This record gives sequence, structure tokens and C-alpha cells, in this order.
Amino acid sequence: MFKTAKIRGIAGLALAGAMAFSLAACSGGSSDSTDAAGSDGELTTVGFVAVGPEGGWRTANEQNIQDSFSKENGFDLKYAPATNGDQNSQITAFTSFIDEGVDAIILSATEATGWESVLKRAQEAEIPVVLLDRGIEPNDTSLYTSHIAPDNVGISSSAAEWANGQFPDGAKYVVLEGPPGLSVVNDRNKGWDDTIDANFTKLESQSANWSTEEAKSVFETILKANNNDVQLVFAQNDEMGLGAALAVEEAGLKPGTDVKIITIDGTKAALEALAAGRLSFVAEYNPLFGDTAIEVVKAALAGETVESDIVVPSVTFDSPEAATEALPTRKY
Amino acid sequence: MSQASSPSRGSVVTTIVRQPYIWAVVALVLLLVINLIKDPGYLGISVNSSTGNLSGNIIDILRASAPIMMIAIGMTLVIATRGIDLSVGSVMAVSGAVSMEFMSNSGDGSVGVAVTAAALALGVSALLGVINGVLVSVVGLQPFITTLVTMLAGRGLAKVITAGQNTSATNEPFRWIANGTVFGFPVVFVIGALIVAVVAVLVRRTALGLMIESIGINPKAARMAGIRPIGILIAVYIVSAVLAGIAGIFSTASVMTVEVAKTGLSSEMDAILAVVIGGTSLAGGKFSLTGSVIGALLIATLDKTIVFLSIPSSATPAFKAVVIVIICLLQSQRVRALFARRKAISTPTPPQSTPTRKETVSA
Repeated sequence: MFKTAKIRGIAGLALAGAMAFSLAACSGGSSDSTDAAGSDGELTTVGFVAVGPEGGWRTANEQNIQDSFSKENGFDLKYAPATNGDQNSQITAFTSFIDEGVDAIILSATEATGWESVLKRAQEAEIPVVLLDRGIEPNDTSLYTSHIAPDNVGISSSAAEWANGQFPDGAKYVVLEGPPGLSVVNDRNKGWDDTIDANFTKLESQSANWSTEEAKSVFETILKANNNDVQLVFAQNDEMGLGAALAVEEAGLKPGTDVKIITIDGTKAALEALAAGRLSFVAEYNPLFGDTAIEVVKAALAGETVESDIVVPSVTFDSPEAATEALPTRKY
Repeated sequence: MSQASSPSRGSVVTTIVRQPYIWAVVALVLLLVINLIKDPGYLGISVNSSTGNLSGNIIDILRASAPIMMIAIGMTLVIATRGIDLSVGSVMAVSGAVSMEFMSNSGDGSVGVAVTAAALALGVSALLGVINGVLVSVVGLQPFITTLVTMLAGRGLAKVITAGQNTSATNEPFRWIANGTVFGFPVVFVIGALIVAVVAVLVRRTALGLMIESIGINPKAARMAGIRPIGILIAVYIVSAVLAGIAGIFSTASVMTVEVAKTGLSSEMDAILAVVIGGTSLAGGKFSLTGSVIGALLIATLDKTIVFLSIPSSATPAFKAVVIVIICLLQSQRVRALFARRKAISTPTPPQSTPTRKETVSA
């Protein structure tokens, strides 16, 4: 009995070893073949680990990336959106791109943390990784080629500067933020908190998960809790700002005069609301940086050194007139 | 103590305490009291001078509870048949997507367009319900797997309908469903309450409720007693999907936007929680519609309380979880205590049961 068990164990080990060998052989073979295919078709294969439907900004950004990395420009883009914003599905897509042996990977992470091990695997496979929009935490620049994004801290501090100018005597304000833990939420909070004057009172900071519906429900309760004594709302995206505007109207107040609402992103819907006076200040978070991304990917594949942090320039809209002027040419 | 008092008084106390949702009522009252301590005017309802509607925190809670109530009622019936419907959140998104897409394309903001949009949305929802029901009853797939598939497929469908975009529309009658008032009361809550009443009459004044329960308690025995489970199961899944469709209309009409990735997201959890809090067992069988309505009210109150008390957003899921865990624990303890009491009555009092009984009475 004892003997057979031992023999079985050894046999099992040997089998496992054989399988490991054959697997290694398999993966070696397949990566060779994809490399060959890549050079034959003369298209650069790029895997895009994306976020998927989230809001107007995200749609504009991902459409722009997909349009830029077109077959005409010499790219074969594989688009892999996350399943309902789940990071696990992104990691799965990322690893399968590595196994497939793509030439480069571009990544818009849903969460900032937890990317070290897959990024290391990409490095071992010598696949350059370009981060779009959201960065990673901890920010280890040796793990990726470049991070292309508008400057969240700068944008929200420009919003705070506008608020400082509007309310020289200070005001009571509420922050509607995205889901806790995202790097964009942390950055937008940081830029705002560092710049806003000391005579402003922060009544509350609540997450509304980027959603119009939740923002409306959250802000109607905040208005009741403070007897409508709120002068300013800093909504960290357009959708939440629009939800807050609905709650203000529902309470019988006038957005723009009774409560001023600041939003970040600059989608068409927000600019229309700004032109109608329902929002007061919209800071653009420029989503159109597909061309920059192409340059970076090409440079990385050519072996050139690329700057690890590239800031996309953005503008702000502080009046209905500015919004009306920008609306006809707005792409998103 | 209860044994010492007169039997009639004792039975009144036990019937009240015996209601499975008693702890949900206690928690609901407790949350309102906490809010009252923070702001003594919390329960006050005033007439808004500029809009002429009733306004107040209670009104907000009633309004927020309406969609949860709809999916919780549907979920109760499904759970009573030993099933589960994970697809309700996705059906909400589909229904919202259908109505918003239709209204944004058809342009004019007339009542006719609003009614057609709602009818279309409910029709598509019912279709998803038929798929669930047929797969569960005729094909015999497990409800968990079946509705998990429709949950994933449903959100995909919503994204296809709107081409992945968050779609807005303008239609005053449709917006009125979620934001309007009748005699000062929110329309959503009135519609919700009416629908609950209709469902309650249907299942409690006819044999339907008994049949649903018998399928949940023992499907074989039910079949032998002459109940045809296929028809009832399909009907139950259709009702659940249509109610989810109504919930989807409620929640998208409130902002007149469907957010395909967010509308109804994890609403199935809210619905299941409302059912469990209401005292219906996930093992099927006996169900309580009143309990589920109270559960829905509790969840809406909890969501509003979190914001009202300015609990930091990073701590909100934990706060919600703690409250719900406490309620569930209290319920299970009560069940165990009742069990011990029954044992004590049927057998000559074992010594351990005395402290347990004392606990029940004091609690």
C-alpha cells in the first residue's frame, strides 16, 4: 500500500513535469508564430485594455484612440473593454495580450493599484506599456513606458481658483466625488484642497459613483441636511454635476444663482447646461490624445527614450458665452 | 415573565414579536430616531414655496424606495418558488435604455410618446422574463445560472440598444412619473404602492400565493396535488421582470438619462437584501410581501441616512453592511430562540432553555 502510494506520487510528479515542458514548448511555438505574422502583415498589433462605457468623456476618449490606431496608420488595435468597470477583467485581458504576443499594450486602468505583477510580466516579454488617463499606484515609472493624461491636479486647482475669485468672502461647499480609491479622485481632491481658500467651509464630501442618478439623490439629501444653505458644488465629473443641478431645481432653487456648480470633463451635455446657465464652470479634461499616443507607441517600438509623464493640455469654460462658442465644434 | 401575565396579553405580544420583519421595523425606527437627534426637524414636511409640492426627508425616502420596492416584490415571489432572479438590475437598464432611446428618437414630448416608450420598455422586460421562466421551468436549468446569464446578457443588450452611450431624452410626462406629485405626494410612490396592492390582492385573495408557496416548499408534492409548476414559474419570472422594468422606468425618469453601465447596477443585491430583511427565507416557501416592502423602505432610509449623517464615502459600504448584518443576526437569533421555546413547550422544560427565553422577552 505504502509503496504504491509512493510510486503514484513519483509518477504524478513526472507527469506534471512533462506537462510543464510541453506547455513551455507550446507557448514558445505560438509566440514565434505571432511574431512572424506581425512582420508579414506589416501592421503593428496593439492591445487596448480599456474601461468601456462609463460616460460621455470615456466614450469620446476610447473612440478617439480607436480611430487613431487605424489600419491606415499601420496599426491593428485589439479593443478589450472591462466588464462593468471590473479590474479583474482588465487584468485578464492584459495577460491574454501578453500571451498573444502583441507589439504594444495601452492601458486605461479602472483602479490605480494592483498592476505591478502584470506590468512586470509585460516587461519580461519586452512589450512596451503606455498608460492612458489613469495612472498606477505606487507610481513606479520603471514598470511602464509612458503615462499620457491631462493633469488632474492642475485642472481641479484651476476650478478652485475660479471659486476663490467668485466668492472672495468664502462659501459653504460640497464635493461630489467618484468612487473612493481611484487615482483621478485623489488627484482631483488634492488639486482642489490645495488651492481653495481657507475661508471656504467644506460641508460634506460624498461619492456619487460618477452617476447622475446617484448625484441627484445624494445632493437632495445634502440640501435638506443643510437647510439649502449650500453655495457651491464641486462635482468631479459632468454627469454628477448635472444630477446636482436637477436636485437644486427640484428644491425650488436656481442653479447658477443660488447654488453654483463646477464640473470637470467638458462633455457636450455639460457645455449645453453651461450655456443654459444650469452649470457655472466647466473645466475640460481633454480626451483627444490619440495622436500623442501613436507617437509614443512608435517611439517606444523604435527603441527611443520617451518621457515618462506627458501632460495633455486642457481649457476651462467659465461663462455661458464661452460654452455657446465652443459647442458647434465640440466632438464629444 | 410572559407566562406570568394573562394569556391574552401574552399572545398579543407574541404575535407582534413573531412577525418576521419586526427587527426591520425596529431598525427603521432607530434610523429615523438617529436622524431626528441630528436634526429635530428631520421628519417635518413642508410645502415648497416655489414649486408648491410637499418636500421633506420622508418624501425623499418614499421616492427613493419605490424602485427598490418594485424589484423586491418581484424577487419575493421568485424566491418563494425556491428560485432567484439576479437579472433584475440588468432588466432595469434594458427598460431604461429602450424608453430613453425611443423618446430621444421620436422627438416630441407628448403623453402618447411617453406611454409608448413605457409600454415598449415593459414589453422587452417581459420578454426577458419569459426567457428566464422558460429556461427555469421547461428546460430545467438552475435559476441562479439562468438569471446570471440574463443578467450579463441584459446589460450587454442595454449597451447595444444605446450604442454604448448614456442616452438622455426630454419628455415632460415621462419625467413626471418620477418627479411629479399627486396631491403633493410623489407619483412614483403612489404608483409603486398601487402595484404592490394589486400584486398582494392577486396572490393573497386567490390560490396563487398558496400555489407559489407549495412549489417552494415541495415541488414534487405540489405536482402530485395537481399544481402545474411550469405555468406558475413562467408567470413568476415574467412578473419579476416586468416589475424590474417599472423600476428601470422609475430610476431613469428621475434624471431622464439612462447610464448603461450604472442604471440598476447591483440592484439585485438590494432586492435580495430587502427580501431577506423582510423575513422571507432564501430556501423558498412562505413569503411576506409586507416584509419586503419594509425591507425596501429600510434600504432607502439607510442610503439617505448615510448621506444625512455625513458619513465619509469610503465608510458607507461598511456602515450599510454592519446595519444589515446586525438585522440578520437578530433575526436568526430570534428564530433560534423561538425554536428553543417550542422545544420547551413540547418537552418538560430542559434547564438550558430558561435563559434563552428570558432573552427573547427582554429583547
